[in-house]
Amino acid sequence: MSIFKKFLNFKGIIGITLVLCVILIAVLAPLIIPPEFATRMDMRARLSPPNMAHWMGTDQLGRDLFYRVMLGARTSINIATSAVLMSLVIGLPLGLISGYFGGRTDNVLMRLVDTLLSFPALLLALTISAVLGPNLQNTIIAIGIAFTPYLARLIRGEALRVAQMPYVEAARSSGATNSRLIIGHVLPNIMPVVIVQSTISLAFAILAEAGLSFLGLGTQPPEASWGLMIQASRDYLDRAPWTALVPGTAVALTVLGLNMFGDVLRDVLDPRSQS
Amino acid sequence: MAVTLFLISIITFTVTNILPGDVAMMIMGTQSNPAALANLRESLGLNDPLIYQYGRWIFGMLTGDWGNSLLFKQPIGPILLQKMTASALIVLLSMTIALTLAIPLGVWSAVYKNRWQDTAGSSVSILGVSLPDFFWGIMLILLFARALGWFPSSGFVHPNEDFLLALKHAFLPSLALGLGLMAHLTRMTRATMTGILSQEFIRVARAKGLAEKTVIWQYGLANAIGPVMTVAGLQMGYLFGSIIVMESLFNYTGMGWLTYQALLNRDMPLIQATVFVIAAVVMLVNLLVDLLYPIFDPRIELK
Repeated sequence: MSIFKKFLNFKGIIGITLVLCVILIAVLAPLIIPPEFATRMDMRARLSPPNMAHWMGTDQLGRDLFYRVMLGARTSINIATSAVLMSLVIGLPLGLISGYFGGRTDNVLMRLVDTLLSFPALLLALTISAVLGPNLQNTIIAIGIAFTPYLARLIRGEALRVAQMPYVEAARSSGATNSRLIIGHVLPNIMPVVIVQSTISLAFAILAEAGLSFLGLGTQPPEASWGLMIQASRDYLDRAPWTALVPGTAVALTVLGLNMFGDVLRDVLDPRSQS
Repeated sequence: MAVTLFLISIITFTVTNILPGDVAMMIMGTQSNPAALANLRESLGLNDPLIYQYGRWIFGMLTGDWGNSLLFKQPIGPILLQKMTASALIVLLSMTIALTLAIPLGVWSAVYKNRWQDTAGSSVSILGVSLPDFFWGIMLILLFARALGWFPSSGFVHPNEDFLLALKHAFLPSLALGLGLMAHLTRMTRATMTGILSQEFIRVARAKGLAEKTVIWQYGLANAIGPVMTVAGLQMGYLFGSIIVMESLFNYTGMGWLTYQALLNRDMPLIQATVFVIAAVVMLVNLLVDLLYPIFDPRIELK
């Protein structure tokens, strides 16, 4: 049971608690809170500071920030998770094939990946989103594609390392086919790194979604997402700083939780990189 | 390098051409007469196969004819040049801020590993990584521009006109970018320094009675600076991405702002040019860091 003990340090407890809270909110909030709570406008209570009726204050249309931030969690988490899954679906086979087979395939693929890495992820995501037309689905595609080269590069390196291990050699000499070697031997052994990196990528995806929506090239209104809420707050910063602080804190806590959780996961799953 | 630039141009062209939109319609508006649209499409060469269009574009880029921006109705080359200088100021300033804060903080964390100083340093950096940089930007605007009034919250002044005022305008966006960057670099400095401080030659240096200051700064940091600079170079990509958000937030009319305007207005020639230039600059900076590596670490010789 020592593996569980490793999770139970300061960082681990905070990270896990934060991540669990966010997941719970993302799953439960839409079931408990009626959707109209987030869109109901109260013009008499526009930009009102946190009070008993509105715990976290209201925005420029008098909409309750507490409900909006709770319901926005699902949008942000949804986009981040789908985007990371998408980059895994493309990046995992690419990296595995490149790292396992090496040679010319590897050269060509990695040349392409390296070039893609010259494009800042956010720039790539923004361009794809602008070109496809910004909406929820295209935001996922944009972030997913932008993150793929990073994952592919990392997975390739790991696959290359594992493919040269004696146990892979042994399996090969006992007649295992390439596909069997990749799926049965290489893949399971790079999983720890993939899981850790995916967790950290989730944090970056949340930030990317917030950035895209903040620039108006991500999630579109009337959807409630955290980035969109921060964007809307820009014009009211002087009078109502809480309109930026509430969604900003939500993003920060989520990303903080994911980062801490990722760090601890790395210590547990990947003993080579003890920090 | 030429191959990479060529690949960058192909990717730029591909990404911007997957769009279903129509440049001709963007120029003339959606209500325009179909015959005129068809004419314009023909004269712009939009009916040619993509490979010809790419050829024409890359030929123009190579010969200095970057086309006209649909949004600004001006040649793209001069606009880009002007915006690049504006952004260079921000990039340099934020890198300087990040490095001057990150190196001492990272070293400090490594020296006091697992003590409260380390926890404090690590907390600061993990917080820096976790906050979106535009959130830093908003906070800085609230604090330094609105509450204290020390710095302007938006706008750009060319350094040739008034250098001090230019710095003042560039300071807040650079600080916001620098704080996020600092967090990454602190983590990297700490990790590298921790590894180096546990090595034999550090023990030897201490054993022969050198001052702790000399051991840490001259023996330790001298060996850590190479990897840190490499990461700083790699962070250029991150920086050029964030600059789009930050310049838009601060209305600072540089490369990032220009890219954002191009994207918002679907100004295709301008999008292609800005995306290409940013990717090329990121690549060149990383190449430069590789070439400069022997300065930070004289043991490495370039082949």
